[in-house]
Amino acid sequence: MTMLRVRDMTVRFGGIVALDGVSLDLNRGEILGMIGPNGAGKTTLFNCISGVIRPDHGSVLFETNDLTYAPPHRRAQLGIARTFQNLQLWGSMTVQENLMVPMDALGRRNTFSDALYLPFSAYAERASSERARAILHVLDLGRYARTLAGDLPAGIQRRVEIARALAMRPKLLLLDEPAAGLDAQETAHLAELLHAVRERFHVSMLLVDHDMSLVMRVCDFVYVLDFGKLLARGRPAAIRNDPKVVAAYLGEESKKLTGDVMTVAAARKEEPPLLEVDRLAAGYGGLEVIRDVTLSVRPGEVVACIGANGAGKTTTLRAISGMIHPRAGHVVFAGRDVTGSPAERITKLGLVHIPEGRGLFPTISVEDTLRLVSNSAGHEVDIAPAFQLFPRLRERRRQLVGTLSGGEQQMVALARAILSEPRLVMIDEMSQGLAPTVVRQLFEIVRVFREQGIAVLLVEQFVESALDVADRAYVFEHGTIALSGPAVELRSDRTLVTGSYLGTAADASAIAAANGNGHHIDPALMEVMSVRVPAKVKRALEQRAENEGRPAGAVVVELLGKVDDQ
Amino acid sequence: MTSRLMFRVLAALVAFTVLARIPVGFDVGFKFDSALAVIWAFGLLSLVLLTGYVGQISLCQATFAGVGAYATGLMVAGFHTDYLVAVGVGVAAAFTLGVIVGIPALRLRGITLAIVTLGIALVFDRYVFQDHAFEWFTGGTAGWRVDRATMFGLQMDSSKHLMSAYIVLLALFCVVALLMVNLHDSGAGRRLRAIRDSELSAATMGVNLTRYKLLAFGMSAAIAGLGGSFYPLVAGSVSPQPFWLFTSLQFAAIAVLMGVRYVPAAALGGVFMAVVPDVLTRFGHGTFMGHAYEISYDWFQIAVGVLLIVQLIALPDGVWGDLRARVRHARSAAGAIGGRKVKVA
Repeated sequence: MTMLRVRDMTVRFGGIVALDGVSLDLNRGEILGMIGPNGAGKTTLFNCISGVIRPDHGSVLFETNDLTYAPPHRRAQLGIARTFQNLQLWGSMTVQENLMVPMDALGRRNTFSDALYLPFSAYAERASSERARAILHVLDLGRYARTLAGDLPAGIQRRVEIARALAMRPKLLLLDEPAAGLDAQETAHLAELLHAVRERFHVSMLLVDHDMSLVMRVCDFVYVLDFGKLLARGRPAAIRNDPKVVAAYLGEESKKLTGDVMTVAAARKEEPPLLEVDRLAAGYGGLEVIRDVTLSVRPGEVVACIGANGAGKTTTLRAISGMIHPRAGHVVFAGRDVTGSPAERITKLGLVHIPEGRGLFPTISVEDTLRLVSNSAGHEVDIAPAFQLFPRLRERRRQLVGTLSGGEQQMVALARAILSEPRLVMIDEMSQGLAPTVVRQLFEIVRVFREQGIAVLLVEQFVESALDVADRAYVFEHGTIALSGPAVELRSDRTLVTGSYLGTAADASAIAAANGNGHHIDPALMEVMSVRVPAKVKRALEQRAENEGRPAGAVVVELLGKVDDQ
Repeated sequence: MTSRLMFRVLAALVAFTVLARIPVGFDVGFKFDSALAVIWAFGLLSLVLLTGYVGQISLCQATFAGVGAYATGLMVAGFHTDYLVAVGVGVAAAFTLGVIVGIPALRLRGITLAIVTLGIALVFDRYVFQDHAFEWFTGGTAGWRVDRATMFGLQMDSSKHLMSAYIVLLALFCVVALLMVNLHDSGAGRRLRAIRDSELSAATMGVNLTRYKLLAFGMSAAIAGLGGSFYPLVAGSVSPQPFWLFTSLQFAAIAVLMGVRYVPAAALGGVFMAVVPDVLTRFGHGTFMGHAYEISYDWFQIAVGVLLIVQLIALPDGVWGDLRARVRHARSAAGAIGGRKVKVA
């Protein structure tokens, strides 16, 4: 039975057609996926359905109600809930309070009885708080009930967003990039969680995400958008093999780097390090996030920092660039001790930090953003090289940065960095929320940086791509560096694959399976394996599995067992 | 939850009993200061609701208080009603104006909203409180004289019964403050705070923004108006000067200084706003080491500015907020274990 009907949706922003006559049907109990490259109009369509944007043309029908122009709270009353890509929890309220707002916003309580604390309000209050606890329990969030939502790590906040949406007792749940910023293991958990949520709460879902592994695993049906139009629709298996989709969205397999990485890295070993970080410790408030972080970057070298979410990678970058004050240790850049120096002074020395979220100004045009570099450089800067590097930005030079797609914004951030003639660029989560084709282009730019002699320190979720482009890498675990070495070695290092990569939970299940009959394959583990394990390792595993005539999962399990023994 | 409510009622009662006795034995000037302190505390409390809970900016809170004061004066001097009836009218007038001011706030936020409310304060200051066209409302340049006011049929002459006015005011303040604290933790309070943290998600989670923003502006104006309504009783007459633009700005500055999210901070700010300038003008002159000096009211303004800068650096959550956090921290460090609980006292 069709629950949601979207018909001929058209949205224009100024001269740009963001959405061009898109129609969509969603059945009761279905999990519908919506994918497409950056700027394809996914978020726009999503916002039309949730009421944040009014379409220029078209209609949204939910059950028997026309919602095209209904305000957001009206949609909430009818049973449409949503989560936000850029986490919109109420940060200064506890997790439980976050859940209680939608519950009683839809109830019949009033402000005056609440202020007087009348018995009626007291009763409703108890009922709400019990329901909130029940939902938190199901989503395994019970222990955070009294924590301020803003204090939680991003991964947990994502789950709280889902819990909060469920608190509305929705019939339809709209999920906007729920896997953004999650690592492979967390994404696998999320997929299970969404299925569990459908079983327990009887909700239909519309899911927008870049993470193909999530969409393909979770969704019953997939719509693909490109340039504001519907490109294809069908079952996940069919979509995966649709040549149009593959061309537009997935792109071709990335070309492997030729073997000169080692020689480049070796040649630069002689030079003194450009950045030296010695036993650095930092944190926020009462929380120490990193300790004893020691790393170095030589001139013209690309160094990657990888590791699970919350391992301290971002905090390390922030402590180096002076955005937060280190608690212990030293940061030496270009021979100068800059520990705890203000961020603008460190920038002047030639260390540019592109933070997560890119740190751009949404209401300034592309050209003006680039010209702003002159301000910090102290002299007029020619912005032509930036356009040479990113021809796409030349076309959009007059456009406001806030109206660009995520990938274009990241290009602006990189262009701005390179114009300031840095010696070291630190890039935090460059690929977050971007489609694979765009990510590949950006990694090409990192390579250009190195050719120009600019050192790069990368923090990256896409471990495989990061290791492809990097000379060396540091693996973070629990706030400190667990492992380091040349990228080529790390790429084939199985401790990396089994340890920081899959995380401890996957380890545990795999080893448990090994203790059983040694052949049992954990499907979650296999899924993780097929998603983000470096292709080389995967191929080796598959090869070996084929030779020995058993499934690849069993080989992994065996390897894990050996690691455990050592 | 109920035990927490009991604790709050008890705290309000204790605060009332203690504060009611403080001005006894001081001169008339100090008694006047005390009553004025409560009036200003209402003004600051209105900002705790509007800015602290809902995150909206207003630079016209003194205008709401002024409208309350003039409406009350009009009722008492013009229609000879009981003072409490007049207060009711004053609060209603302020509430209405608050809802009207709230309408632009549905679309505006941040600095634009600040400018709009500043404009409203300016218009009322210049063209309502001080203009001939509104003499029916303001009682002309002399203002309304309310020295024959009665409350429950009892004489409430300001010169002789200043203490009774103070006690009525204080009792009302304690009640409103208690309601405000209750509101914070209640469902409605959560909806209001949700608007402060993220309007976008509040709207999509079923919070009716129009209704709650207008309600917040209305209630906030009513609270400021309630304090203002007692001004004629305390001062004997109404004049535009206490409710001019600058008082609104001072409300904003002192609310932030003391901690805009906390109800007790409003009381603290009220005392600061009423007592410190008076003490300065009274005792701020004389000779020191052979040099004559005089500290005027201007020094108070400068002091507020300097303190505000110091506070923003040293106590970012306001004097009350940060000191409270420190006390709690010390207490929890002394042995108590448990998750982080955040509640407004």
